[in-house]
Amino acid sequence: MIQVENVIKKYGQRVAVDRLNFTVNRGEILGFLGPNGAGKSTTMNIITGYLSATEGSVKLDGHDILEEPQAVKRQIGYMPELPPLYVDMTVGDYLSFVCDIKGVAKSRRKPNMDRSMELLKITDVRGRLIKNLSKGYKQRVGIAQALIGTPPVLILDEPTIGLDPQQIIETRNLIRELGKEHTIILSSHILPEVQAVCSRILIINRGKIVASDTPENLSRGLSQDNRLSLRVAGPEKEVLVVARGVPHVVKAESVGSREPGTVEIVVEARRDQDVRREVFSAFARANLPILLMKSMDLTLEEIFLNLITTEEREVS
Amino acid sequence: MFAVFRRELKAYFISPIGFTFVGFFILITGVFFALSNLLSGSPAYTGMLSSLTFIFLFLVPILTMRLLSDEMRQKTDQLLITSPLSITGIVLGKYLAAVAVFLITLLITALYPVLLSFFAIGGIAAWEILGGYIGFFLLGSSFIAVGLFFSSLTDNQLVAAMITFAALLLIWILDIIAQNIPTDPGMGLAFMAVIAAGLVLLVFFSTRSTLATVVTIVIMAAALVLLFILSRSFYEGIAAKILTWFSLLKRYNDFSMGILSLSPIVYYISFSGAFVFLTIRMIERRRWV
Repeated sequence: MIQVENVIKKYGQRVAVDRLNFTVNRGEILGFLGPNGAGKSTTMNIITGYLSATEGSVKLDGHDILEEPQAVKRQIGYMPELPPLYVDMTVGDYLSFVCDIKGVAKSRRKPNMDRSMELLKITDVRGRLIKNLSKGYKQRVGIAQALIGTPPVLILDEPTIGLDPQQIIETRNLIRELGKEHTIILSSHILPEVQAVCSRILIINRGKIVASDTPENLSRGLSQDNRLSLRVAGPEKEVLVVARGVPHVVKAESVGSREPGTVEIVVEARRDQDVRREVFSAFARANLPILLMKSMDLTLEEIFLNLITTEEREVS
Repeated sequence: MFAVFRRELKAYFISPIGFTFVGFFILITGVFFALSNLLSGSPAYTGMLSSLTFIFLFLVPILTMRLLSDEMRQKTDQLLITSPLSITGIVLGKYLAAVAVFLITLLITALYPVLLSFFAIGGIAAWEILGGYIGFFLLGSSFIAVGLFFSSLTDNQLVAAMITFAALLLIWILDIIAQNIPTDPGMGLAFMAVIAAGLVLLVFFSTRSTLATVVTIVIMAAALVLLFILSRSFYEGIAAKILTWFSLLKRYNDFSMGILSLSPIVYYISFSGAFVFLTIRMIERRRWV
């Protein structure tokens, strides 16, 4: 649905976005992930037509944003990094102004505004001046604004920033809900967030895509081995002997002790082998109770840091 | 465009800016009206209007400073530019809103000549006053266009107001410069050289190519020198001639004498149009840098 081809954006000599290429399919929730200053907001500003790319093109359903700006912009609801609010207006007046500039027909106006306000739970503040609202409410008015006119594409730049934990969960649920009818691109530098809602993740660093996949694949593809973390009651030496005796275990080592009389060990097995059952029976036979066992998949955090640090090493 | 116009007009009267403008305008015109018409018993209203033009210097920057700079500071320009509105529509809506505030204020001051008509023996020169008002409105609208343009250059309202004031002041003293500038060909050459240097800078900053800049310098210099050798008379008084092209006040004289002719009207409208166009270009350009 959205094709981004060879997009480059330079600010003077500094390259903010470096040859981005990706497509977003209809109904997808795509997450941009990257540290601050990676080029996420710049990319979003280019897709929405706020900035123009130095090179390359952005197309929505085959229409170029620069050649047919009106047609493309009608299809996109955008919530920038800083919600674009006129703080001297009331929420109701503001949303009605947004209806005006988006060319929402008179008859569709009320249902449109009511739906946006209901989804974001801001109906009760519609008569208040935006400048008197809390940060969380302002953020929600910003998202409500993007929903006006029910555009098929929603682009949300850090939608949950400034919200409290309860609101963050609500907003994530809302985004998942909206994902059923809209194609969504959202950005974040918080991993659990994209992991929770996105069907695909683009990791961006220094204006380049460093990885692009589903959250599960990213997690699986990058974990290099199959590791288990165990807490076993018993003397260290004995525990290690038992662990090393389990078939397919390549390596077992102690990482210290956290509870008196127990030992923490990490067991590494061949990648294609699930050794959890064997480990359990081996320790049971040795009469050494396992108090805790968990597999050590790389978390997205670790993958992210790995990708970014390897890239930085390559650069330097 | 109408959505932006309506919002902007409302915004003027939500913030103190609209009231400040209207209030000061009426205060100053009221004082002038009282002194030069009521107390001195003179029905010469258009003369009073033309002695009032200086208030544009102070009031237009107030009216225009936040038009675009505030949008940039609050990032609301992202909403407008990513909406289906065209940039032309956005800029025109804003310009017309500022002009509308000015027009509303002018309509309030129309009470003065009405008041005058009760006392003036033999009535007032209604048509002459109407002509004076049209000129006054067009002059003000041109200044507002200048303010609009400078408001698109910075996200700081105060800076926008100050540059606008400086620019209006320059336009103001243009006549004085034009009258007093020497008319000899040497001065003409020097003046043209300054303009040529400005053009060269423009070429340099828009292309950033050394070759293009050098070529422009060579062409400009050759043209200037050749003209100087071949036709000296071309340079005589040219500085004054060019300066008066940009003199807004000189065109106002006709109106204040009650003459309503087409050329100053066309001049003011094209002057405003040019600055509105420059503003649109400025905003479009910003997306590329």
